[in-house]
Amino acid sequence: MTETNRNRLMLLIALVMAAIYLFPLYWMYITALKSGSEMFATPPTFWPSVPQWSTYAFVWESRGMGRYLWNSLVIASGAVVLITVLGVGCAYVLARYRNGWVDVGLFLILMLQVLPASLMITPIFVGFSQLGMLDYPRLAVIIAIAAKSMPFFVVLVRATFMAVPMELEEAALVDGNSRVGAFFHIVLPLARNGILVSAILIFMQAFGEFVYSKSIIQDIELQPASVGLNSFMGPNTNEWNNIMAYATIYVTPILAIFVLLQRRIVSGLTSGAIK
Amino acid sequence: MADAPSSISSRKGVPAAQAPGNPVRDVRGPIKRLYSSVRDGRGFDIVLVAFPLGFLFLMAGLPLLYNVLMSFQEVDMFSLGTLMRPFVGLKNYRDLFAQPETLPILANTAIFVAGSIAGQFLIGFGLALFFWVNFPGASWLRGLFLVSWVMPGLVVGAIWNWILSGDFGVLNFVLREGGVISGNIFWRSDPNYSLYAVILANIWLGTAFNMILLSVGLSAIPADLYEAAELDGANAWQRFWTITLPMMRSTIGAIIALGLIFTLQQFDLFAAITSGGPNNSSNVTQYWAWEQSFRQYDFAKGATISVLMIIFVMIASVVYVRSTRHEVRG
Amino acid sequence: MGIRKYAVIGALALAGVSLFGLSARAEDVKLTLWSLDRNIQPAPNLVAEFNKLNNGIHIEYRQIQFDDVVSEAMRAYSTGQAPDIIAIDNPEHALFSSRGAFLDLTDMISKSTVIKPENYFPGPLKSVEWDGRYYGVPKATNTIALYYNKDMFKAKGLDPSKPPQTWDELVDAARKLTDPAANVYGLAFSAKANEEGTFQFLPWAQMGGGSYENINAEGAVKALEIWKKIIDEKLASPDTLTRGQWDSTGTFNSGNAAMAISGPWELDRMTQEAKFDWGVTLLPVPKEGAERSSAMGDFNWAIFASSKHPEEAFKALEFFASQDDKMFKNYGQLPARSDISIPETGQPLKDAALKVFLEQLKYAKPRGPHPEWPKISKAIQDAIQAALTGQASPKDALDQAAEKIKAVLG
Repeated sequence: MTETNRNRLMLLIALVMAAIYLFPLYWMYITALKSGSEMFATPPTFWPSVPQWSTYAFVWESRGMGRYLWNSLVIASGAVVLITVLGVGCAYVLARYRNGWVDVGLFLILMLQVLPASLMITPIFVGFSQLGMLDYPRLAVIIAIAAKSMPFFVVLVRATFMAVPMELEEAALVDGNSRVGAFFHIVLPLARNGILVSAILIFMQAFGEFVYSKSIIQDIELQPASVGLNSFMGPNTNEWNNIMAYATIYVTPILAIFVLLQRRIVSGLTSGAIK
Repeated sequence: MADAPSSISSRKGVPAAQAPGNPVRDVRGPIKRLYSSVRDGRGFDIVLVAFPLGFLFLMAGLPLLYNVLMSFQEVDMFSLGTLMRPFVGLKNYRDLFAQPETLPILANTAIFVAGSIAGQFLIGFGLALFFWVNFPGASWLRGLFLVSWVMPGLVVGAIWNWILSGDFGVLNFVLREGGVISGNIFWRSDPNYSLYAVILANIWLGTAFNMILLSVGLSAIPADLYEAAELDGANAWQRFWTITLPMMRSTIGAIIALGLIFTLQQFDLFAAITSGGPNNSSNVTQYWAWEQSFRQYDFAKGATISVLMIIFVMIASVVYVRSTRHEVRG
Repeated sequence: MGIRKYAVIGALALAGVSLFGLSARAEDVKLTLWSLDRNIQPAPNLVAEFNKLNNGIHIEYRQIQFDDVVSEAMRAYSTGQAPDIIAIDNPEHALFSSRGAFLDLTDMISKSTVIKPENYFPGPLKSVEWDGRYYGVPKATNTIALYYNKDMFKAKGLDPSKPPQTWDELVDAARKLTDPAANVYGLAFSAKANEEGTFQFLPWAQMGGGSYENINAEGAVKALEIWKKIIDEKLASPDTLTRGQWDSTGTFNSGNAAMAISGPWELDRMTQEAKFDWGVTLLPVPKEGAERSSAMGDFNWAIFASSKHPEEAFKALEFFASQDDKMFKNYGQLPARSDISIPETGQPLKDAALKVFLEQLKYAKPRGPHPEWPKISKAIQDAIQAALTGQASPKDALDQAAEKIKAVLG
């Protein structure tokens, strides 16, 4: 088999697999465009007979999605900043040494995220209410999300630091750099890609966070899009087309950005640029 | 931190790192010593670790302890705001194991975790290997596979609920047309399938995560290892077993440990697809704990179940920490 | 702080009010109200109307999901963050009132000219009572009955003016109406493992001579056997076990089920969506002439004991009660009042259905009141699910439930 033919075959297989894997996503897009009765039709239609584009405008207007998305953005950005500031240094130290304390640290960090948010929310809510944090609900949610997602971030970024050759840092120290200087000028730039990927993954998670926001943010003006989605998903709904339209508006921008960004990130990682 | 500048001793196990660039400076005053330690010695490491760990302890550790404490107490829905509640010893644990549904739910949890991780890992590994072969468009298409990561759990739950629906679900339609099944399978309502319906959705959700981390791990394997093996006449299969897998050990350990934790935290899908039913056939500890707390308002029972989960995760954490021993420092 | 400053604030406030009609003035008493109603349902609209009165009280509205009402309220109350007013599902009212979390309204009600206990249906009123005192005001009421597709009745040779009256007739009709080739089930109902399952099953148990205290009565076992027969013969979708009432009735509206057991909350949607002639009839009884029964649903208003403005909060409840007469017309919900005659809406199907529901309401029984209702309800749900999935016989399942309920009742 020639190189070109092999490439074509691989591409074909990849496309088929992507089509299967992305089917749920396709179904979301397509359901959003269906009319009320077409949704429940058997056999299901794989292309809407009359696409209801107006559903998007209707959902955007009636649910006030602009505000919801803004809040999601604020919360996700805040959480990413907080996690990055706290997590990078922690991951660096845990990657730098290899002893019993590091083992204990890693163990604790993993243990601390054992329980799902649905079980953590009660103690967190109680604690926040005692500290008066509930008056700053978005900040409270950012902090809660940071605590939830940081262990994951640390584990990922630690792996990145493991790939940074120790010798480079040593060389910088020999050249008269302080530890601080070596960290900021040598180690951090080399781990940049890994940190970026991890930060983006965290951002995605925080953008969809639901349990904390739902309980902590009571003012509808400050609620993120996940809570907005849930507010018309309850048991009394079969507006699947509207729900899917909302979901589409919710995830498409972030999806697009991600697909664009990932190419750079993944290629940066896989070409071994950080070596 | 009086002994701060002894950063040399902290380099145990990294012999190449010793000595240079760390002149001993403890002739200065204590404040200065502290400062220089933070800037240039072990203090720097301690500061970097102490803040995040302190933060985590406050925001994740204390809530965890709150749950552990509750599992030994009699908890009333109106005493949630206080810590001083009557202690009942192991009564909650005894009650829990006296319930007939406890063992089946633990078994379900084991099946859910094992099934989800196996599926996510194998498919993720397969995809990562596949896209590792560089062909035009590979990185673009790999990007598309990551979208499940981006999707909020709530949305994924809604989509799968819709796809798995018995009468109108598109999955049944596809299987029927493909001749795989003759009658509809009631994925959400048939006790024989309900758990697997959620596993299916969860595999879909978690594959992206496995794939990207495994891709990163694969890319870190030096290419010359393969070239050398090829010269020695090793075929692709042998190269996989003798190079790829051993080199990926720490990545795999991390992924499986994280996978276990994520799987144990998976809540949205249960809430959206089966609500743990019918008749607890798809109930797992994390959903059950929530159900006990917020449906039956039996917070002590919910906390007791969560302590069982902590034990599960302890095992995962040990696996993870052990896996890091095989790490190769780049 | 001088008079001028007040004057300025007042002028600004007036300007604001005249501009928006809703904005709060600085000196207004602020109340918070939680309910699960969305914008086409009563609570947010009543709140908006109340705020328009500009009577020195301003209510802030927060919508919460059905599933979250109790847990959110509990958490908020135990940390001192509770709202002033809440709408709570009637079987869960006693959970709060028995613990003193809700304000005792008895004295305020006795002085009120708007809210009078004798004007309410006994069932809903009983659900706000605890120890002979009133801890709330019924917000609305509902019950379930049998919807049926008249066009399908005709197509299958059944008489659309004679819908099934007994359990056997119901099963019989369902068999005739079920048509797998056309994707039509005979019946749609909900046996979901949540309060909805209990809500749907209890009327059957009660008609069979059972009750939640006596859930394994012979007639209740018979009822569960009929449910099992309906599921086993695929006269209803197997998804009945995991689908709530709203989703189930959705399949009726789309023509995939010929009959549906559900409540008046469906009326507005059905009038819009159902492209066929439909009717409503009373829930079938075990055999002709047997005692009727039904479930009583819907929410109550309550004021939290922690409220700093109980007088103002009660004023709001009085306003809400004064609007009860418009409830059916505007929101398709039934006021819990016996003194209000509901005016015709001009939609014949809706008006005919209303008559049936009002009749059915006479037989509606509250669930509880019992402070541990969720546990009782869970035992019943477990029994339903165990029997319908074939993991226990209806008799064994209900015996087990009776055992668990006995432990709760003490």
